[in-house]
Formats: sequence, C-alpha cells, structure tokens
Amino acid sequence: MNTEIELNEQVDVVALFRPGRTMCEPIKFRRKNGREVVISEIGLRHPKPLGARLVHIFDVTDGGADYRLEFDAEHLTWRLTREADVW
Amino acid sequence: MVNEYNHETPLVMHIDLNSCFASIEQQSRPRLRGHPVVIVNRATEHTGIVAASYEAKALGIEALMKLRDVRRLVPDVVAIESDPAKYKYVYHKLLAIMQDYSAHVTMKSIDEGIIDFHQAPASIQQRGLETLGYEIKQRLAQEVGVAMRCNVGISTNRFLAKTAAGLHKPDGLDIITPDNLHRVLGDLKLTSLNGIAWRNEARLQAVGIYTPLDFLAASEETLRQIVFKSINGTKWHQRLRGWEVDDVPTKMGRVGRQYVLERFDLTHQEILQRLHHLCESVGWRLRKQGLAARGVYVYAKSAAGYWHACRVMALPFFSNKAIYELAKQLFSEAPSSIKEIGVHCYELTNDEMSQLGLFADEIAHERAVTIASDDINERYGERTIVSADTIDTGIYVSQKIPFGSTRYM
Repeated sequence: MNTEIELNEQVDVVALFRPGRTMCEPIKFRRKNGREVVISEIGLRHPKPLGARLVHIFDVTDGGADYRLEFDAEHLTWRLTREADVW
Repeated sequence: MVNEYNHETPLVMHIDLNSCFASIEQQSRPRLRGHPVVIVNRATEHTGIVAASYEAKALGIEALMKLRDVRRLVPDVVAIESDPAKYKYVYHKLLAIMQDYSAHVTMKSIDEGIIDFHQAPASIQQRGLETLGYEIKQRLAQEVGVAMRCNVGISTNRFLAKTAAGLHKPDGLDIITPDNLHRVLGDLKLTSLNGIAWRNEARLQAVGIYTPLDFLAASEETLRQIVFKSINGTKWHQRLRGWEVDDVPTKMGRVGRQYVLERFDLTHQEILQRLHHLCESVGWRLRKQGLAARGVYVYAKSAAGYWHACRVMALPFFSNKAIYELAKQLFSEAPSSIKEIGVHCYELTNDEMSQLGLFADEIAHERAVTIASDDINERYGERTIVSADTIDTGIYVSQKIPFGSTRYM
C-alpha cells in the first residue's frame, strides 16, 4: 500500500553545502508542528524549472517515511510538499 | 566483404538503463526499493503501465499491461504516477557521463544511448571498452544513485551492441565479437533481434529462416531478393556480421501527442477541449523545434476501432489556433464512444520558409500573438497562457514521458 500526502508547508531546514552528489544536502528539517525529521538518505535531487524560476526538488527519507522538499532558488525558501509511505 | 565478419576492435557501446522510470522512482523514494513498482501516466485503472520495476517483472508484470490487470495479478503493487522532470534530469546526467568518453554520443530514447569510440582520444580507447563500461556503471551509481543500474553492450556496430546489452538484464555487460557471435545468436529467438517483430519474422519463416543462426547463414541475395525485396536485405546481411549500417541521422517526420481519455463517457465538447489541449502542446513542440507544418492528422480509438482523418494545406502554419482549427474540422467526422485521441502535424518545414500569401497581415498578427504567448510561457512556466477552452484540462492532459524520442529533452 502506498500513501502520498500532498503538502505545501514551509519548513526550517539545516543543510550542508559541499561538493558531492547533490552539492546541497538537507540534513534535517522542522515541521510546523515542531516535529523534527532527521534525514537518513537523499534519494534524488533534481531541478524543476517553473518558467524562468528554478526549484530544486529533494526526495529524502528518514527511514520511516519518504519526503519531498523543494528549495526555491529565487526566494531561498524551503517547503515540504509531500509525505509518502509504503508498506 | 560480402560474407566476411567485421573483425575490427569493438568500439561501439550501447547503454540501456534498467527498468528506467521504476528505478528512478526507487532511487528517489528509498522506501520503494524491494517493492513491486509500476509507473503509470495516470492513476486510473484502465491506464496502461509504462514501466515496471524488476521486482514487478519477476511477478509477471510487463509494460503496457492495464493497471487493473496488474492489480489482479499483484494486489500489493505500488503504482506511481510518472514524473517527467525527474526522468529528464537522469537522462541529462547519463548523457553527461557518456559524453565524458566520446564526442559521438547518440541517445536513442530517454533511457538508452550509444557511444561511438571510433574517434575518441587514444588515451580513452587504450583503456578498453570493457573497463570503461564498468566505470560508467559505477559512475551512474555514484552520480545518480545506488538504485540506478544499466546494461552495457559492446560490439563493432550498433545492432550487435544493442543485442549485447540485452543479454544479461539487469546490470549486465556483454561483448559480441565474431568469436562468440554464433554462440550468442544460438541462444536467441528471431524476435529477440532489434528490428525483427512478428511481420519480419513471418517473412523470414516463409523462406525457412526460423532462428537467428538461420538468418546469419542466409545469403545476401536471399535476404535482398526474396525476404526483404529491397536494400534492407543487404543491410541485414551486413548488420548481422557486425558492419555498421545504422549510423544515419533520423529526420523528424512529424510532431504529435495522444491522450487516453480519463473517462469514456465524456461529451463531444469535452473531448474537443482535450483535443484543443493536445493541439496547444503539439504547437509548442513544433515551434520549439523552429518548424512549421502543412499537414494535420487526427485519430480516435473507439469501440468501433481506429478512425483517422488528415489534410494537407498549401501554406505552412505553426500557431495553436491554426492547428486546432484544422484538427477540429477533421474531428467533426469522428465516431462516438471514444477512448483515445491523438493529433500529429506533418509535412514539416523550416519555419523561416513560411510564405506569406494573400492574408499576410492576418498571418503576421497571428504569428506575433503566438510568439508573445510562447515568450510568456517560457518565462513564467508552461501553460501560463492557454486558450480559455483548455484552462481546466491541464489536470488531465499533463505532459508525459516522451517515449522513443529525445528531441524534447
């Protein structure tokens, strides 16, 4: 069973910027309800152009669920846009 | 060279991403790994699946099966809607890796490509293609992710390199040379050969060619004069012996899109709105290639079968409006109970060649409006400006995976 919840939630993110597969690595994020999610793996980072604007999509997991974080390169904001799980 | 095999060092490498879209989803969502996953263009039960993960394939699921049949077979299968932006990113990563080794890279589709090492630097060639093949596999895992695997095939021509890439899935690396050609072909069926589907198989069987080894043993004359009745027979004779006959640029013949209706009880007006959406999409693609068209072809699949209509105009056109007006006229003859629609533009010409006729002012005005709309869509995102008629169709007719072509990547 696969569940996917679409969200549009601004989140606080701690990220490392360093050379490597993704260049920018979100390490953990805090949700609006205060819950902190520690990222155990970045599945894929890919850019998504929205016209001339660029959003970087980070598909990540904490081992318990998969999350999609979006970093808006123009406005420098992070949003949590999906939470998904499969069992 | 009539019957000779090509004994040169194999310098053609075919790379094929394994279960590409499903692997990308399993890469991006780690918790999907190990689960049977299928990719669909739309989450409806009568949609066909476009890709299956290896776990799904092991349970008997194949591409193009209907989702409802897949669920009957494997109730806990995970169906994921396709995400073209993600696949496009991986395509470009793979392309960049391949281009590190040779300037002569040809992508055959979104998930497979060819590296021709004939003109690669000596320092690259000296390392040997087998070593380079393993290195590319490793780089794919490091630079995209560990769930990404690819098959590598190496030979003296594109056909045998692709054949080699299909021998040991997933994650294989095989080389075909004249030394192992008979052994490799001996394990295959005719339809395992790229380019031999049931029609060609029937042609071959009609003259007693039942296996790839029979095919290889057939004379050039037999293939040319009796089986294929054209130069294609000669090409097959050479292709099977490792000579390159497929390194030819392909010319774009048409630009089109199709759509399987989200419900089969839509009204004619609702179907026309979706047709209009397809026309906008086709027009955008046409103009992005700097092309104009003279012909429009529309089709519909219904309970009664396949219906189509087409028309060629004297002057080229390129605006969404022109394409839709023609498509709509043609579609007035379409049958009822439609399940799928499609529209193609053909008779393509370079847009700069478009002639201005008696209606020069009108054409110039339409051109200016089209270009202005395209500029806005380019800047603020696709479908920022669309016809009022298609405002609500975007949630259904969204952009999907461009199979078989990389021209829009």
